[in-house]
Amino acid sequence: MASDSELTDFLKSVEKRAFKRSLYHVRDEDAALDIVQDSMMKLAEHYSDKPANELPMLFQRILSNTTLDWFRRQKTKNALFTNFSQFEADDSTEDFNLLDAHRISEGNEQVESAQRTVERHQSIQEIETEIQKLPARQREAFLLRYWEELDVAETAAVMGCSEGSVKTHCSRAVQALDKALKAKGLTS
Amino acid sequence: MNTNDYLSDAQADLLARQVAAQLDQSLRDLPHDISERLRAARTRAVAARRQQVPVLATGLRLQKGTLVLEGGPDKMRFWGWMGSVIPLIALVLGLFVIHSLQNDWRADELASVDTALLTDELPPTAYTDPGFLRFIRAGSTEAAPTSATAD
Repeated sequence: MASDSELTDFLKSVEKRAFKRSLYHVRDEDAALDIVQDSMMKLAEHYSDKPANELPMLFQRILSNTTLDWFRRQKTKNALFTNFSQFEADDSTEDFNLLDAHRISEGNEQVESAQRTVERHQSIQEIETEIQKLPARQREAFLLRYWEELDVAETAAVMGCSEGSVKTHCSRAVQALDKALKAKGLTS
Repeated sequence: MNTNDYLSDAQADLLARQVAAQLDQSLRDLPHDISERLRAARTRAVAARRQQVPVLATGLRLQKGTLVLEGGPDKMRFWGWMGSVIPLIALVLGLFVIHSLQNDWRADELASVDTALLTDELPPTAYTDPGFLRFIRAGSTEAAPTSATAD
């Protein structure tokens, strides 16, 4: 059974990545934070008796399922109400990213030049935008496989699909990213 | 699509790793309030886990001259299970014993009545005869004044 400190260390190591992963899917910071918090609570409440080495896979699965639940709830909500809030959420996310890029660049002036900082932020932002543009399953497969560094079998287990599907999704995602990033001059 | 645009497996893997590295960089730039909210969420989750899994000691052990509490959730789960099953078994056994004892007492009672009837000089069929019953009643009313005068 994972101890409190092991659980804390594990959550600390995955929380930022989990937040970003959720954000790429839902494109709403508050929703992404809620999803990560719900996932952490579920892991702590229902799987606290599991050994520490099982936590990464369990957490990835919980995070995927919680994200899916969020989309299901949104679908029901949107069926009942107009989706103005969705547009607002998208706008605020984009504004927020730009503001953050400026705010953080101020702090990093001593380390790297302002121009370089802006370029780096722009490049990251372009990549994030392209990742958000990917179809949901391709994005999920890509992030799990290459960012979370799960192997094909683990990714398939988290996504609840075959290993062949994971390979196909990943391949298509990489080809799409390559094409998009080349078009923006970010890769040669 | 031009076939030259299609990446080989190695190239695709390299690009994917480069993109992942860029995404890692984006983590460094997370705003402070987001980091704080994530930290709060983590703390809340660990606290919820602590409330749910109370670490209870099931025994004492002497270690380097110090008494140490030992045992924990696994042992507690077993003893908790035993603690609920043992009273249940005791209850079922008790009910079974009470039932069989009551059966024995009832059988003894019936047997003693049967024995009294069968060993009496008077045959049991006599109690079904209306004339005999009238004789007994008349006898008891006559016997009462006699006993009164005897006193």
